[in-house]
Amino acid sequence: MTILMPEPDQSVLARRDEIIAALRRIVPGEGVISSAAEMKPYESDGLMAYRQPPMVVVLPSTTKQVSEVLRYCHQNGIKVVPRGSGTSLSGGALPLADGVLLGLGKFKRIREIDFDNRAVVVEPGVTNLAISQAVDHAGFYYAPDPSSQIACSIGGNIAENSGGVHCLKYGMTTNNVLGCEIVLMTGEILRIGGKAAECAGYDLMGVITGSEGLLGVITEVTVRILRKPETARALMIGFQSVEAAGQCVADVISAGIIPGGMEMMDKPAIHAAEAFVHAGYPLDVEALLIIELDGPQVEVDELIGRVEAIALQCGSTTCQISTSEQQRLLFWSGRKAAFPAVGRISPDYLCMDGTIPRAQLPLVLRRMNEMSEKYGLRVANVFHAGDGNLHPLILYDANKPGEQDAAEAFGADILRLCVEVGGVLTGEHGVGIEKRDLMPEMFSDIDLNQQQRLKCAFDSEGLLNPGKVFPTLHRCAELGRMHVHKGQLPFPDIPRF
Amino acid sequence: MDTLKVRDAQEVEDAVRAAIANEQPIEIVGHGGKRTIGQPMATNAVLELSALNAVAAYEPNELIITVQAGAPMADVLSLIDSKNQHFAFEPMDTATLLGTAPGAGTVAGMIGAGLAGPRRIKAGGARDHLLGAHAVSGFGESFKAGGKVVKNVTGYDLCKLLAGSWGTLAVMTEVTLKVTPRPESERTLVLRGLGDVVANKAMTTALGSPYDVTGAAHLPGSALRTTAGALAEIAQPDQALTLLRLEGITSSASHRAQSLRAALKSFGDAELIEDEASAALWRAVRDVEPFAASGPRALWPVWRIVCPPAAGGAFGEQLARESGGEVMYDWGGGLIWAALPPAADGHAKALRQRVEKIAGHATLIRGSDVVRAAIDVFHPQPAGLAALGDRVKRSFDPTNILNRGRMSRGSAT
Repeated sequence: MTILMPEPDQSVLARRDEIIAALRRIVPGEGVISSAAEMKPYESDGLMAYRQPPMVVVLPSTTKQVSEVLRYCHQNGIKVVPRGSGTSLSGGALPLADGVLLGLGKFKRIREIDFDNRAVVVEPGVTNLAISQAVDHAGFYYAPDPSSQIACSIGGNIAENSGGVHCLKYGMTTNNVLGCEIVLMTGEILRIGGKAAECAGYDLMGVITGSEGLLGVITEVTVRILRKPETARALMIGFQSVEAAGQCVADVISAGIIPGGMEMMDKPAIHAAEAFVHAGYPLDVEALLIIELDGPQVEVDELIGRVEAIALQCGSTTCQISTSEQQRLLFWSGRKAAFPAVGRISPDYLCMDGTIPRAQLPLVLRRMNEMSEKYGLRVANVFHAGDGNLHPLILYDANKPGEQDAAEAFGADILRLCVEVGGVLTGEHGVGIEKRDLMPEMFSDIDLNQQQRLKCAFDSEGLLNPGKVFPTLHRCAELGRMHVHKGQLPFPDIPRF
Repeated sequence: MDTLKVRDAQEVEDAVRAAIANEQPIEIVGHGGKRTIGQPMATNAVLELSALNAVAAYEPNELIITVQAGAPMADVLSLIDSKNQHFAFEPMDTATLLGTAPGAGTVAGMIGAGLAGPRRIKAGGARDHLLGAHAVSGFGESFKAGGKVVKNVTGYDLCKLLAGSWGTLAVMTEVTLKVTPRPESERTLVLRGLGDVVANKAMTTALGSPYDVTGAAHLPGSALRTTAGALAEIAQPDQALTLLRLEGITSSASHRAQSLRAALKSFGDAELIEDEASAALWRAVRDVEPFAASGPRALWPVWRIVCPPAAGGAFGEQLARESGGEVMYDWGGGLIWAALPPAADGHAKALRQRVEKIAGHATLIRGSDVVRAAIDVFHPQPAGLAALGDRVKRSFDPTNILNRGRMSRGSAT
């Protein structure tokens, strides 16, 4: 493990039996898991290169229990890591050796469906897809759709502000959440927002969304649902250069067209995906665009024609247009299976996640190829072309000495490059532990201090999910002081990891 | 009144540091058009940002624009319009309602007020379109939040807090906003003579349809009695108007308008208004023209009430009847504008007791100094949320230097 976590507090570990007994009084029966074998499934999330058994796992089933667990931990100085379905790709739910892992998997109820207000109230353990399925019969759906939507929980989606291919047109999680019930580290239960479009006061819902489980534990959420578009069709367009494909993306947008989804794959990704799902992808192109248009039939038919014409002008060499729902899904099958497809051609891979200004795409891909040669590792690219969100997959073999370290160094270089060209470190997977130490590439100490001060407003002792997102732990009292000089930490004795 | 007109971000930082050192709270203004919203502030020191008015970068293909905080909205809107783009959240121009200079207002003022127009139901508000910001906190430190790309989850989304914080957390110096292509055309369906509750049902039906409605407003006949402009042109005496907007490429907007008209048949035979005539109607709704400060209700307090949309009709109808006031509805019933007859507390107590029963909240947007000093202008929060809000305020502005007391009486914010 190359990323360091806070040193476990030995005094907490020494009280482990006492802590477990106290937690069992709050959550009786099978709600507390303490044996090493049973805790095994909880020792990592989707970033499986990093593993750490927690001190104990607690699986509450009511808000009251969540509140009491947090209050107990707060009073006893015990760290807590919240966890949904564990599909985070950035280590956001990685346990701590001296911490309680608080699983929300039992919060599985859909509490209310309100079609008149176009809102659904759910518990955080409900999967993203289950929300859409619950309202499908009436022709509604929940727009954000991360690739993991069959498994990922809505609470985790809010923690990570995770999006999916629909983001460009329909927004991210933060644009589709109306309110929540949240439990602070002190055990205090608050309700923020509801079915109205806006909250009173500061937009706390807005800052909780994407806060990676560092501000509070969500026990209920109200999301906005949308009426399903009448129809959707997709184009699959091949180009002889990434530049031409990038130009096509820019031209579609400047023509005033915002597709429901606009995805790009480079040659290695196309070949891996085609070998896996046989979607009929052209193998002699350098870049493949899948552009989906959704809405009323008449609109989709017209826009398909406009996009096809734009693609031709940009030098497309192949263009297929779906004529049936089956064919549309086939176009997508390779893109959606790109990660497992790449998994077949490499023992291991790292999935990176950065966003760049779209115009920088050719430069970034060129530089990535140079890095690929430098590190001796292959890279395949799939990305949300519409919003510039890249997912380079770095292929490596963990059994070969040094390859994992090289892959991680390569990934870090890619993210530095994203920031260098005006982009950001993460577009949808979150910072977690994975990109934590890269935060100074994008933010100054002052920027990070301001974010950590906000953390203190919610969690004054820093007990909720510490070691994630921020490269340096701070004491709240220190952060509260005025006139911290640029770059000079007032407490040099506080450890950086 | 001491006004310090700053010219760049460094001067903002210097000014805030001086204010901290002198323990002198400062009021932050752009063009000053929204100064009468919020609790009256006890300070004579004003920090004016109108000279920070440059467009730093506009990348139409990237769908973003970066401007200095004091850039005039009118200029920015005109610039993006020249590339056939717009702010999808359709921010209202408060000049009509407040009686301030027409066309004035800055980008940061718009964000600080957290504005949104009729397209809120589809596109969100200012919060949803603020991608990044540079600002000076009440620590006297320049910090940045967010980024300059449309998809970003790096660190806390501090931009959400800045939007709608009325300058109480930080002084924005530069902001990056998302822009989107302007729809090719628009169509408005007009239903006439519906009561508020029935109109609410019509709007709910339209918004629950697959026809992608981007505006749903209802104006009771009484609210239209004294209005001028686009709404007056189509209004008939004492007859309510219910407006439903469809936008997009021309063939689609026309097609959907026909489909929606059929779906709403039970509510009446809808008229169709197209393009510029339609746009004028929605500007009037956006800017709350029926309650304009130049109209006969100039002295009436005006409230902005946000509630679950389906509850709006019944609530508004009762409010108008019992108070003797007038209401109009936007966001399918989720936003109610209410002009109420003058009263010592501007009807705050009765209004809030009632709106809390439907899980809504109410903000006084236009009111006399006396009324504003006597009541909570912003909806009071439950104790726990208020305390958290105070802690958030202190995490940005520990000595309460910035717009002290504007959002809440008797607490830090």
